[in-house]
Amino acid sequence: MKLIFEYEESITGHLPDSSDDDSHSLGDLPRELIRKELPLPNVSEIDVIRHYSNMSRKNFGVDIGFYPLGSCTMKYNPKINEDIAKLEGFMQLHPLSHQSCIQGSLQLMWELGEYFKKITGMDAFSLQPAAGSQSELLGVMIAKAYFKEKKEKRTKIIIPDSAHGTNPATAAMCKFETITVKSDSRGNMDINEFKELLEEDIALVMLTNPNTLGLFEEKVLEISDLAHRNGSLMYCDGANMNALLGITRPADQGFDLIHLNLHKTFSTPHGGGGPGAGALGVKTHLSDFLPLPRVVNDGKNFALDYDRRRSVGMTRYCYGNFGMLVRAYAYIRSWGNELRKISEHAILNANYLCSLLKEDFELPYDRRCAHEFVLSSRKLGQKSALNIAKRIMDYGFHPPTIYFPLIVPEALMIEPTETESKETLDEFATALRKIAKELKENPDFVKGAPYTRSVERLDEVIAARRPNLRWNAHTGLEEEDGKKMPGINEREDRRQK
Amino acid sequence: MEGTKFTKEHEWITISSEGLAMIGISDFAQEQLGDIVSVELPKVGSKFRQMQPMAIVDSVKASSDIYSPLSGEVVQVNDELSEHPEWINESPYELGWIIKIKPSNIEELDDLMTAGQYSEFVGEMEK
Amino acid sequence: MKWRSRKKKEKRRNDYRCVRQQGGYEVIIMNYIPVTENDKRNMLRHIGVKSINDLLIELKPSIADSGELGLSNPMSELELLEHMKRLSEKNNLMKYFIGAGAYNHYVPAAVNHLLMRGEFLTGYTPYQAEMSQGTLQAMYEFQSFICLLTGMDVANASMYDGSSALAEAVLLSSSYNGRNGVFVNNGLNPQYLEVLKTYCEGADLEIVNEINEKTTCVIGQNPDFYGNLENLEYLSDRAHKVGALFITCVVEPTSLAIVQPPGYYGADLVVGEGQSFGIPINFGGPYLGFLGVKDFLLKKIPGRIAGMTADSKGRKGFVLTFQAREQHIRRERATSNITTNVELMAIASTIYLSLMGRTGLKNVAKLCYSRAHLLQEKLAKMDFKLLNDKPFYNEFLVRAPSGSSENVLSHLLKEGILGGLHLDHDNILICCTEMNSLQDIESYASIINERMLLK
Repeated sequence: MKLIFEYEESITGHLPDSSDDDSHSLGDLPRELIRKELPLPNVSEIDVIRHYSNMSRKNFGVDIGFYPLGSCTMKYNPKINEDIAKLEGFMQLHPLSHQSCIQGSLQLMWELGEYFKKITGMDAFSLQPAAGSQSELLGVMIAKAYFKEKKEKRTKIIIPDSAHGTNPATAAMCKFETITVKSDSRGNMDINEFKELLEEDIALVMLTNPNTLGLFEEKVLEISDLAHRNGSLMYCDGANMNALLGITRPADQGFDLIHLNLHKTFSTPHGGGGPGAGALGVKTHLSDFLPLPRVVNDGKNFALDYDRRRSVGMTRYCYGNFGMLVRAYAYIRSWGNELRKISEHAILNANYLCSLLKEDFELPYDRRCAHEFVLSSRKLGQKSALNIAKRIMDYGFHPPTIYFPLIVPEALMIEPTETESKETLDEFATALRKIAKELKENPDFVKGAPYTRSVERLDEVIAARRPNLRWNAHTGLEEEDGKKMPGINEREDRRQK
Repeated sequence: MEGTKFTKEHEWITISSEGLAMIGISDFAQEQLGDIVSVELPKVGSKFRQMQPMAIVDSVKASSDIYSPLSGEVVQVNDELSEHPEWINESPYELGWIIKIKPSNIEELDDLMTAGQYSEFVGEMEK
Repeated sequence: MKWRSRKKKEKRRNDYRCVRQQGGYEVIIMNYIPVTENDKRNMLRHIGVKSINDLLIELKPSIADSGELGLSNPMSELELLEHMKRLSEKNNLMKYFIGAGAYNHYVPAAVNHLLMRGEFLTGYTPYQAEMSQGTLQAMYEFQSFICLLTGMDVANASMYDGSSALAEAVLLSSSYNGRNGVFVNNGLNPQYLEVLKTYCEGADLEIVNEINEKTTCVIGQNPDFYGNLENLEYLSDRAHKVGALFITCVVEPTSLAIVQPPGYYGADLVVGEGQSFGIPINFGGPYLGFLGVKDFLLKKIPGRIAGMTADSKGRKGFVLTFQAREQHIRRERATSNITTNVELMAIASTIYLSLMGRTGLKNVAKLCYSRAHLLQEKLAKMDFKLLNDKPFYNEFLVRAPSGSSENVLSHLLKEGILGGLHLDHDNILICCTEMNSLQDIESYASIINERMLLK
């Protein structure tokens, strides 16, 4: 399939008519500012439609088939929420409109914050973060500001070895040192090691609950208690909140901060890698630190409040990924007080699928799982998880997350979600068992998979060693006006000695 | 492999006649890491204590620290690895050398394994 | 294609598909769970427990139950739609003569039709390349478009938005040269500055007033917050003289169709907001951050990057590449913690740019430019003093006749026009795009004219 840049010159479909007012041609602009060449293609509308329609057909989504990508909660995204998010009153609203013109959107944000408070037990929410990872960043910034105000020098963050990579990466962005605690034989954070490492310079303990093994942290109350007595804060990575809706509240487990991933738990579409939306909830003692502006309600009108002295500031332009907030809001309203059924069924589906597979694969922590579970294919050989992932594509399923969490060798992390039928789960289990058999009987065949996608196995090594990251026009861009852009050698010179 | 010493983190080190130490990763290590796609090298002149991370090698799916087998100061790095990271896979003990340091305490060498000890160590791991 | 067996499907009944009586009508409640009561019994039996509650007890012994959440009743699709419509109608849409970081451009119908294809909409990050060639090729094309527009060598697959892209570029700069002073030229969007300050506070960087050997980077927005266009070569030279990086921030990227790309005047990094390319204003998000760099910064880039490669048969394909930079591999040493970005928005802008093409995009830019200048001239005749001292693109700053700005804006508002962003004193920042027709501009001017005459 060719690139959009490789079509022959045609007539573009969208030419806003500029003939009506050419009194202000660019003649007013100084010549040196005017671009000499714009090296973009002109492709006809029909060809653009076909190009991207065909491109999409090489993709896989929840709408196409089962997508048990662990840790990502690939549930069905209700179509009505797409229509709702496109209501003109929401989508065409300028964020800097007069307060009297944005009451609907502010009400939505205020109410959504209230729902999140009820679901998590937290005291205040910000809907500003653009994704879970930005919520984490905000959370760690808040912790930093909190201890700075208290004049306590705390420079470390405790994270279990099963944690998502974002946790230590976030800590590093705020110049905290990460202290890793290993997991015990039941898949919990090892409480004894935790006690040893919990010193007075620990700012934050970041836990995912249920953790990335799909297991509930059994000692969470004790951990929270120890952390608090040490003066540290407890952060909950809420990536796995799809297991706890209406079942338990993170606030009751002792967490001071939590983020929610709206694209996971609250079914906003994943879009091939975003937009997501984050929400950060905190207990009262941290609420003043939440970013600006805050949506406030005086009982009559809604307003944006920028006047909070202790706030850490803004983390992005305006108020959040509003379009995603609309979808999450609609999703919560559609479920209402039956929200708990989402998690009940997510847990039912995961335990059922796990029970179908644990004979043929190894279950490293044989405990009741939450909304997902992690198998090991270690006994099927080196790289077996990778080979299984590639082969399952030929059966029409998206592979599970593989090689994560890092503490399980040849890990297959499977999250079925509540929106899958028993029939689908049965078919998936059958396919996985077949592949396990194929791997024993004809391993070379499995190693060549996939065979039914638009491409076979792709070479990631060449991609990294000989990077080709953009189409190159070989246009005159580099030599406009006879002025050369800095070449590779000059750039080298600029490098810090 | 005469005179070459190894760490438990799979670095090798040899001392030249001028007293400089050349450092790389073992054949076993490159095998485990798979295809190396890039290397992050320290600046010449930076100083490291023994077993402090001094460089990073990346494969497609992993990123690993290279620890300094001895304390000392970096005197040269293998710049060609940025163009040819595959040398670490293809020739881990020659073309794929990574860093040369000037050791500050040559006695630290005694903490390291000989080739024979290392091959036993690796044998234990593979069991 | 997999054929499902044609066996007669069990009749789907399910306890949550409850039917509620309401005002004499039956209302079917939304339900996204396909497991029937019968399925559920069989599944529980296979697991070896009696009820879902038993699962929960085993899952979280001794942890308190949430109890009643106190949420409202579930809603049917119809009820939900009505409720959401009512809520959306509490907003008032205007004719927008305001930009300041969110630009009201026309989005061709084809963009949304393509974007709503489930294959794009409901996939996730293309960790498994063979399953996701569509997203990956779109990423590659997006990266190419950003490079072509900005004059950079490499771009990533997107950042959350323009402001966070700028903040991440500053962190990149500091990790590249190990310095911690950040110099911001006048005219940066004030919200971007706020975001930058927040990130700097977290990362122990300092916003400074002079450029010296401790400066990690110099930031210049072009066109700046007030719409000013400038050749920033002087700023780039000042940065490079002390070994700092030069970052250009582009918040209204349609300008790139007609003005010199930042690569031309020496930018090492270009970051910005891609919302103008086919993304609705949507009350501030989701938008599209972009980040492009010169080759020498490649390994320092945060976020996803797609690269072209070949499959085992030698056919062209795409993969996520340089993943070892990223948080899921490097953890605390990663270039950033960014994970989910805004891929769908990047696809939207890729489709937008393809549809507009070179000719369409230039036309958009020329219309933005000429309409803004037309309005500015009309206002000048009514004593609205132009405060821009440089050529401007589609935004400009005027000082309304003394003491009149609030009055002017509120009269415009009554007529359904959001006349601009009120800054300090009587200063108003006004923006035009191709969405502001000649007629709109005429009414803007005549409403003011009437008010002035009345006064």
